[in-house]
Amino acid sequence: MDVRSRNHVTVTGRTGAPAVMLAHGFGCDQNMWRLVVPELERDFTVVLFDHVGAGNSELTAWSRDRYASLDGYVDDVLELCRELDLGPITFVGHSVSAMMGVLAAARRPEAFAGLVLLAPSPCFVDDPATGYRGGFSAEDIDELLESLDANYLGWSGAMAPVIMGNPDRPELGEELTNSFCRTDPEIARVFARVTFLSDNRADLAAVTVPTLVAQCSHDAIAPPEVGAFVHAQIPGSRLVTLNATGHCPQLAAPEETAAAIAAFAGASG
Amino acid sequence: MSRHLTLLTRTTTAGAVIELAGDLDHHTAPEVRDALPGITLAAGQQLTIDLGGLTFCDSSGITMLIAARNHALAAGATIALAAVPERVSRIFRIVGLEQVFPTHPSTQAAEDSWHPTTG
Amino acid sequence: MCGTDDGAADDGGRGRGRDHGRGRDHGRGRSEDHQENQEARFSELLEDSAEDLYEHAPCGYLSTLLDGRIAKINTTLLDWLGYERDALVGRKRFSDLLTVGGRLYHETHFAPLLRMQGEINGIALELKTADGTRLPVMVTSTVKTGGDGQALLIRTTIFDARDRRAYENELLRARQEADRERDRLKVLNTTLQKTLLPPTLANVPGLDVAAHYHIASADEVGGDFYDLFPLAAGTWGMFLGDVCGKGAAAAAVTSLARYTLRAAAVYSPAPDAVLANLNTVLNHEYNGTDPRFCTVIFGLLTPDPDQGGFHITLASGGHPPAMVMRHDGTADSLPTPGGQLIGILPNANIATTTVHLAPGDTLLLHTDGLTEAHTAAGPDGRYSDEALLDLGRALAPTTATDAITAIRDLLDTLGNGVDDDTAVLAVHVPRTTSEEQQ
Repeated sequence: MDVRSRNHVTVTGRTGAPAVMLAHGFGCDQNMWRLVVPELERDFTVVLFDHVGAGNSELTAWSRDRYASLDGYVDDVLELCRELDLGPITFVGHSVSAMMGVLAAARRPEAFAGLVLLAPSPCFVDDPATGYRGGFSAEDIDELLESLDANYLGWSGAMAPVIMGNPDRPELGEELTNSFCRTDPEIARVFARVTFLSDNRADLAAVTVPTLVAQCSHDAIAPPEVGAFVHAQIPGSRLVTLNATGHCPQLAAPEETAAAIAAFAGASG
Repeated sequence: MSRHLTLLTRTTTAGAVIELAGDLDHHTAPEVRDALPGITLAAGQQLTIDLGGLTFCDSSGITMLIAARNHALAAGATIALAAVPERVSRIFRIVGLEQVFPTHPSTQAAEDSWHPTTG
Repeated sequence: MCGTDDGAADDGGRGRGRDHGRGRDHGRGRSEDHQENQEARFSELLEDSAEDLYEHAPCGYLSTLLDGRIAKINTTLLDWLGYERDALVGRKRFSDLLTVGGRLYHETHFAPLLRMQGEINGIALELKTADGTRLPVMVTSTVKTGGDGQALLIRTTIFDARDRRAYENELLRARQEADRERDRLKVLNTTLQKTLLPPTLANVPGLDVAAHYHIASADEVGGDFYDLFPLAAGTWGMFLGDVCGKGAAAAAVTSLARYTLRAAAVYSPAPDAVLANLNTVLNHEYNGTDPRFCTVIFGLLTPDPDQGGFHITLASGGHPPAMVMRHDGTADSLPTPGGQLIGILPNANIATTTVHLAPGDTLLLHTDGLTEAHTAAGPDGRYSDEALLDLGRALAPTTATDAITAIRDLLDTLGNGVDDDTAVLAVHVPRTTSEEQQ
């Protein structure tokens, strides 16, 4: 399998410069980064990709078994690092992809010059036993799955699913080729579970590479306490709070986000 | 997967003629079977099935030809096949039906070979 | 009804003020008085000020800053939510009005897409009202930009979707139910299929046996069958066949064929007599407008004490020929010309042939699902008997297990091209150690 086409890899920017790999989170694809890429490609080699099951990745490569936990995604990231062979990279992981970066760097630290954890959360679900507040209950996550279902019935052009494995009705897939963030409902459901039900709090301490935790000032998904928790658990990490609001600073405040990434990657890369 | 079969029927002095073209298989054979009751045959006539345009025939197709034969026999008529493709002949030889269905090079030859047996 | 007074009044009643000018078209050809009268009525309706229209429109309006904070909200939406204006404007964000699940969906899907595309249409969400009840809505948002293209604020319209959501939930439930039913049907078909095949093949001393059944589609039961079983002292019966058609009706014929063959073989084991009996049974049973038949090959295996190996008599009723792969590396098909398919004709002709299976030889029976499989490489786009014979030549000498493994690999390679079920049965006489040393 060609991992570049599997993950629809795009490499842009300055050849030979330190490499920055941008990993999108649950809900969209590499389009999420399009406002920060112009800011980064002057000084870095910029690697974009779609997680398997998202965007223009090869949907045939998706399997429930491989992607039922973050490990399948981590394998993909490490395979991409090996295939691209760009030297130690700065991995920028948004949301759930931040934890993929944590797991990948713990497994192969030599592949990473640094980690940028953008709006990270190691665990979305509250844990009363330890007093940890992720912000959500298991029932809330079920509710999200209902929202996914409600929007995959096909009323919404933007959210309409890619119809996978239905060669009898190619027109269903074709009309959606221009929409962003396409996904198959089945895949979205599995990815939602992986995203919101994984608990990677114990993995944070294993990170040995330089790490920047970048959180937003008002994030309904990853509140400030969660960013502070991540910072406290990763030895030697730095914490910045962006002015950007919401969960997607790369869209809400691309210049500020790009500047934070560039300053960190320029120093560590 | 789209499979196509075209079915044309016409009448000659010898009796009805069914022309089949395309794939005669699991998916398309029911079309032919459904058309059979609408084909009227008088006793002593001959039902001719022209297979010249057939590109494929599997066991479902064979079933359909047998149903057509039963339809003809029930009316006191006979059956003949015209322009049987080599591949179909081969299947007929395998399943031992080459003697059950008289075959002719063309529909015209089938018509010419017909002699009224009654009336 | 278009063009009548009622129709014009209906139009006005919807508050479509910008359609005012079209009223002239409605009135064309009518008296001036009538036209003036109508315009007066439209003007009256236009007192319905823009502000009033905004506040009491039949949908919710919401304007938010880019960070989601509510800047403006109309009365309709406040009434739906049961909030005072002051409780929301400047204090809450749009996502605060959503259920928690909806908020996650908003942050991960809605907001990013809105940022990227400048608009997003018809998203299903649920609002949480002041008293905690949920209001299913359809949400459309656009980003308002200033002259310099900078995003300024987000405009959102919200439609009550209670009835629609109830209907959608019903659709969703029906689809999930259908998915479950289909899964159940597949399990049932697979189970039924298994009952039509022997759980294990008889262990024949001095013979190595293997078989494989390939299910082309779990949606329907296929009609292939095989068996190998003991007969009177020292002899064995084997058969492999293919009932035409699929589904429950074909499965009934398969079941009948299997039990008839086993019973007939006990009664009179001569292979041609076994098939003649099956023909009579099927011909009597399915003699209507929906003919049912099968092709089948039946073999009687007798150990050969003089030459070693087995003596096999094969009878065929219209079935593709068996293939023998010999110890010397050659392979041949064993044609049985003239054998007629079983169940159609009152006195079907059964053709027989005999073969001696020496140590190292392997006999393979197959159904035409394999040789009729679609493949770009074959003649007429099908795999073909010739290709199978070539495979046999490449395999020989082989064993039953190796031959079946090779066929399974071939079926995997043909993939979706195999659109009919396929059964294969192989028997092989192993060489003894002393024979191998020679």
